[in-house]
Amino acid sequence: MDLDAFRASLDDWLDSNQEPLAVAYEGSGTLDQQMAQVAKVKRLTYDAGWMRFGWPERVGGFAGSTLMRAYLGEALTARDLVEPGLYSMTEVLAPTMIDYAAPELAAAMVPALLRGDETWCQGFSEPGTGSNLASLSCRALRTGRGWQVTGQKVWTSLAQYAQRCVLLTRTGTAESAHRGITALFADMDSPGITVRPIRTMHGSDEFSEVFFDDVAVPFDRTLGQEGDGWAVAMDLLPYERSTSLWHRAAFLHRRLQELLGIAPSGSLDPARLGEVIQLLYAFRARSRRTQHRMAGGESLGPETSIDKILLATSEQAIFDLVADVLTAEVSVGDDPDSDRWRTEYLYSRAATIYGGSAEIQRNIIARRLLDLGDDR
Amino acid sequence: MDDEDRRLLERTLARAAAQHTGGALDAALAELGWLDALSIDPRAAISLLFQLQGATNTTSSALGRVLAHALGVGSGPEIGIVLPPVGRWDPPGTVDADDLVVHGLGPASLSGVGSALIVTSIGKRTVGITVPTASLVLRAVNGMDQGLALLEVTARTTVAEHMSEALDCDWASALVLGRLALAHELVGASRTMLDLACEHARGRIQFGRPIGSFQAIRHRLAETLVGIDMADAMLDSAWHDHSPETAAMAKSVAGRQARTTARNCQQVLAGIGFTTEHPLHHYIRRTLVLDALLGSATSLTRALGAEVISTSQLPVLPPL
Repeated sequence: MDLDAFRASLDDWLDSNQEPLAVAYEGSGTLDQQMAQVAKVKRLTYDAGWMRFGWPERVGGFAGSTLMRAYLGEALTARDLVEPGLYSMTEVLAPTMIDYAAPELAAAMVPALLRGDETWCQGFSEPGTGSNLASLSCRALRTGRGWQVTGQKVWTSLAQYAQRCVLLTRTGTAESAHRGITALFADMDSPGITVRPIRTMHGSDEFSEVFFDDVAVPFDRTLGQEGDGWAVAMDLLPYERSTSLWHRAAFLHRRLQELLGIAPSGSLDPARLGEVIQLLYAFRARSRRTQHRMAGGESLGPETSIDKILLATSEQAIFDLVADVLTAEVSVGDDPDSDRWRTEYLYSRAATIYGGSAEIQRNIIARRLLDLGDDR
Repeated sequence: MDDEDRRLLERTLARAAAQHTGGALDAALAELGWLDALSIDPRAAISLLFQLQGATNTTSSALGRVLAHALGVGSGPEIGIVLPPVGRWDPPGTVDADDLVVHGLGPASLSGVGSALIVTSIGKRTVGITVPTASLVLRAVNGMDQGLALLEVTARTTVAEHMSEALDCDWASALVLGRLALAHELVGASRTMLDLACEHARGRIQFGRPIGSFQAIRHRLAETLVGIDMADAMLDSAWHDHSPETAAMAKSVAGRQARTTARNCQQVLAGIGFTTEHPLHHYIRRTLVLDALLGSATSLTRALGAEVISTSQLPVLPPL
């Protein structure tokens, strides 16, 4: 199916299935409610086939252009049917799983993620390992029965919901840096895993600390080979800055349009509004180009740091505008709609922090795209 | 145009833009068939040439040819096109009582052609009026960027004698292509400024290290690339949807980021970048003037905001 045909028939289907797809809560809803909604929408779209387009047949997909995946997320987000960050976890984790897991493992696991039967999380950051990912210390020891994992992860999104975890572990010496890292695919119900959710500023337990205490992970759950962990991470991070950002652009567009509808007369400065619109449209134009490169089979790399910076800049500019235009709603409003604007404003503050801080993205651009050498 | 033709055109244009400017570049463009390329594949012809003109700090009469192409007024070299004055984008001609009043800009080549096309607003109509160049007052502009060799064009002449040949024309389409051309030129100039600054950052040693190893410099230059690539992407979308709104946004984003690029690169180049011994100043001058042509970033951005406030509707998104 080509993109235009996909778009037209998906739009029809969404129009005629408004009732089963509808959101059952007001405002932002709780994280539990948002997760249940995402799972429901993924199941309905998977069972109707939409969710399977753009994914390889060997993981239960219908093949075809990845642009169909981008459009599905765009359409669901534009209609406010899913929280885009939760929905897009699939786009972050499934592609790398397909690239690096043994074929039978990918075939067994990926369909459950696509259908929303499972949630997966990404165990990368640690208390001592934020921007300097290669210094991670969560250890995996090789034993006669498999890997034995001990250590701690943090900022692990959705860990308390997750059935599986894409986990980076130290298998080399402490000094081996990026060479001694191995990626594993762990079951979150394994004995020895403890999850402690962390309450964020925007009032959600979106991420957690995860403790691993002699957790057994079979060898056939290794992604790639021992020591390939850095390559797995470098494969995954550009996915974190591509299709999920396209979905986020749809969210920002919807919210900016909604702001226009309720902005008090005279509250919008034309010069400022014009610049915010241009930022959003330019971010989306950049993301569109990235989607087409991905669909053309190009592998994504450090240039996706530009997409991430543009997302963060546009998202914060939009919600700074929201805070100034909907001052009363954001600062003292307690109804569900006001709460939602406030929550989204607060969450927008994280856009320059998560997924590689704004500073790390600029370091990547300076070293990899501008050839400015090392920074020391 | 297929990929191979496009590469060939790019190679020939790159040679021409590196060696010639002004009238000599016009002659080279005529010889290598750029006007044919403009009618066969406007996107390739415009994006390649203007990006190169920006990158090499050269100029030509091509912007007028682009407007003429969009207005559908033939491709003969004998007609010059008058642009709106700096900072404006309404047609350069207006009618005051019985007079045609002209206030605009033209390339140096205008003085060498017999007649000029003045796009003119008459009430709700926009028409192209051809007048003898001799009826126009042409003043060589020195100004910020002498390399552009612009002419200020003014005139006040009886309109009736020219109206018999007046043709209705689509100024909005001319603005679309003209703005895309200028945006490509701004992006080309920006990329050269960034190259110059990066080269300096790699080679200039202070405190025993290249200054490009300091994060203050690296982040400034990284941010500059983000701006340039953002403008480039906006151009993609504008060519994709051909709408006046997206083209105006592309020109705006390109103009704003080019001025930010100029500021960042001059700061990195520091003392040497403030001298005429380094080429940077040519690019700083060029981007300031290009930003002002057919609507500056500031004025187009304000106009976009005002339009959206009055309709409460965001512009249509270019589709995936």
